[in-house]
Amino acid sequence: MNENTYDAIVVGTGISGGWAAKELTEKGLKTLVLDRGRNVRHVQDYPTATTDIWEFPYAGRATAEELRRQETAARTGYAITQASKHWFVDDTEFPYTEKQRFDWVRGYHVGGRSIMWGRQSYRWSPMDFEANAKDGIAVDWPIRYDDLAPWYDHVEQFIGVSGQNEGFAQLPDGKFLPPMEMNCVEKHFKQQVAEKLGRQLTIGRVAHLTAPLAHSPQRGTCQYRNMCIRGCPFGAYFSSQSSTLPAAEKTGNMTLRPNSIVYEIIYDEKKGRASGVRVLDAETRQTTDFFAKVIFLNASTFGSTYIMMNSISKRFPNGFGNDSGELGCNIMDHQLEIGARAMVDGFDDKYYTGRRPNGIYIPRYRNVGKDKRDYLRGFGYQGGASRGGWTGLMLDTKLGEELKERAAEPGPWYMGLGGFGEILPYHENRVTMDHSRKDKYGMPVLAFDAVLRQNELAMRKDMANDAAEMLEAAGYRNVRSYDREMGIGLGIHEMGTARMGRDPKTSVLNAHNQVHACKNVYVTDGSCMTSAACQNPSLTYMALTARACNHAVEELKRMNI
Amino acid sequence: MSADNMNMNRRQVLQRAAYLMGGALSAPAVLGLLSGCAPKQEEALWEPVFFSKEQGAIVADVAEIIIPRTKTPGAKDVGVPGFIDTMLKDVYEQADRDRYLAGLKEFDDAARKAHGKPFVELSKAQQTEQVRKFNDDAIATELSYDPRPKDLKRPFILMTRELTLLGFFCSEVGATQVLQYVAVPGGFQACVPVAEAGNGRAWAQEAMGRL
Repeated sequence: MNENTYDAIVVGTGISGGWAAKELTEKGLKTLVLDRGRNVRHVQDYPTATTDIWEFPYAGRATAEELRRQETAARTGYAITQASKHWFVDDTEFPYTEKQRFDWVRGYHVGGRSIMWGRQSYRWSPMDFEANAKDGIAVDWPIRYDDLAPWYDHVEQFIGVSGQNEGFAQLPDGKFLPPMEMNCVEKHFKQQVAEKLGRQLTIGRVAHLTAPLAHSPQRGTCQYRNMCIRGCPFGAYFSSQSSTLPAAEKTGNMTLRPNSIVYEIIYDEKKGRASGVRVLDAETRQTTDFFAKVIFLNASTFGSTYIMMNSISKRFPNGFGNDSGELGCNIMDHQLEIGARAMVDGFDDKYYTGRRPNGIYIPRYRNVGKDKRDYLRGFGYQGGASRGGWTGLMLDTKLGEELKERAAEPGPWYMGLGGFGEILPYHENRVTMDHSRKDKYGMPVLAFDAVLRQNELAMRKDMANDAAEMLEAAGYRNVRSYDREMGIGLGIHEMGTARMGRDPKTSVLNAHNQVHACKNVYVTDGSCMTSAACQNPSLTYMALTARACNHAVEELKRMNI
Repeated sequence: MSADNMNMNRRQVLQRAAYLMGGALSAPAVLGLLSGCAPKQEEALWEPVFFSKEQGAIVADVAEIIIPRTKTPGAKDVGVPGFIDTMLKDVYEQADRDRYLAGLKEFDDAARKAHGKPFVELSKAQQTEQVRKFNDDAIATELSYDPRPKDLKRPFILMTRELTLLGFFCSEVGATQVLQYVAVPGGFQACVPVAEAGNGRAWAQEAMGRL
């Protein structure tokens, strides 16, 4: 038993798992860090990071066979290409059941989706933590903004977030590196929507280094290649590989074990606590038990929920920590695939150099202050302006030399806005085990049953109309709004299936992310979220994780867990 | 941003990456990341896999009319016909392949009907006239859809146009000699006069999705 015993076990190495590994090891805990997938070493294992487009077969497009094998991730429209397909799960090996269309976009490898994430990093505001209580929706968050604010500071300063402090009440300022610049059309648009509609706009806040970080000299600054999804050879954006795992490694306290599929939490009925985890080795298919005083679940929202649902004991016959019956319920995401686009005249003599991996952000304004709508909550927009190119000539009748010459000229300017809308937590939007189907390893699969409901559909009308209204107000032409079908999950901001709350009868986790009924298990990935707000959630997962790690170490010192 | 920075080539980039990693990787190991394949060879070496030789010859002539050799190389020079052959074989579905080949036959039949000769034996002027007619009619038809069909099925001429544009502008010649491309910009200038944005030509963009 001794060789398999550690102070702490962290399950998962993505956005939140990397943070748990860093914080726990830096606080002196001998920590076993498990990931179900292959190891991915920084830079060496980014096979396409420096490949030029002409070096890919098929101009980078996926083959028909690849699209069949990775059908669910392909629904994003960008994930499955020759440049990035190796980061996404093969559905034929790891299927799941869709009672309604559900888009579960997974990366099974060390670093998880911290390699492919969108890097947009926004704080939640006091309003977001108060919303459920104020609206009488679901359950109240057991924490408030002030509980998390110092941990947002801590996380931003470590990962490096580029952005502009604006003093917006609904989008708190942070500890930012210098902002990226808006192009001339974006500046015009900002000025127009402020003047005509009184709405605010800021440059996207992104986890990219726009200046060096003294504590992480191994990381370089952003080179404006905008090939981030392939892995950054400069370490310029935050990923577990570029940032948290090297910090954990440096302590000498981390044992990283890839290819380790945690499928069960071991519960000690006598002691009334978790004693460890059961691991299936993805290569040898051997099972091994590992033990620790404290366990952090960071296997992704549905990954952690799966492990809990699959951990049945006398004490927890309905899934680990599931006294409330809320485990697997309250699936949230952000609704998107909706917005508008327009052509912009008057800037044809202006262009840009470099590929900025970022856009602009319009923080939520609906149901803020005096604004009142016939639905709850609201949405933000991400967007940006750029000049078209040869793709805009597909339906131009030009041929031959004329076509070639036109393609070489910068095309028209376009400004686009895409909405990110809050989805409420509904008990009925849930995930369960489907024992009738098995994955590659003979494990049962998950079954999703979740839909957008009336509040979301009412919000969608504003999301399309407001985008068009702003572009029209700015004086742009050919304004086209769009509203495409989406499955929940497509936002890749899945949350909520092991929510935090004040009452063990209605929630799975307490204010410190501990399982109410088993205090030495912490869950700090997206599954802990009590509501979804409309901001990209990863920064909040990181702050919650750092806060929970601090709590766990204090509780260990006090011999409380 | 300095001109040096703009012109930093990939070897320098990778050496810089190795440096930034604090020497954790040797330069040769980083250079081992250069695993791409060489640019496509001249058209003469092309042996169709999906097409018959005759079909391949028609596709090659149509592609060259869409993007001809001018002061810079054209579709045939950069291997667009072979690219279309490979795309149809591996990227498209059977229904698309069937539609493409049926359209290709109709296209060749139209040449025979009008001129009594297969398309590849027409004069350049006759070929260009026929491509223009098919091109303009198909574009007018697609633009007339309202709403645009969700699962739009493009005819032979527009599939060839799409694949020629894609293959050409994603080729090294298309991206670097006709458009402009910098692997590692090193910085971002948000708003500059067009003439000061590199050489003033359109930046090559990655277009891995559908056109």
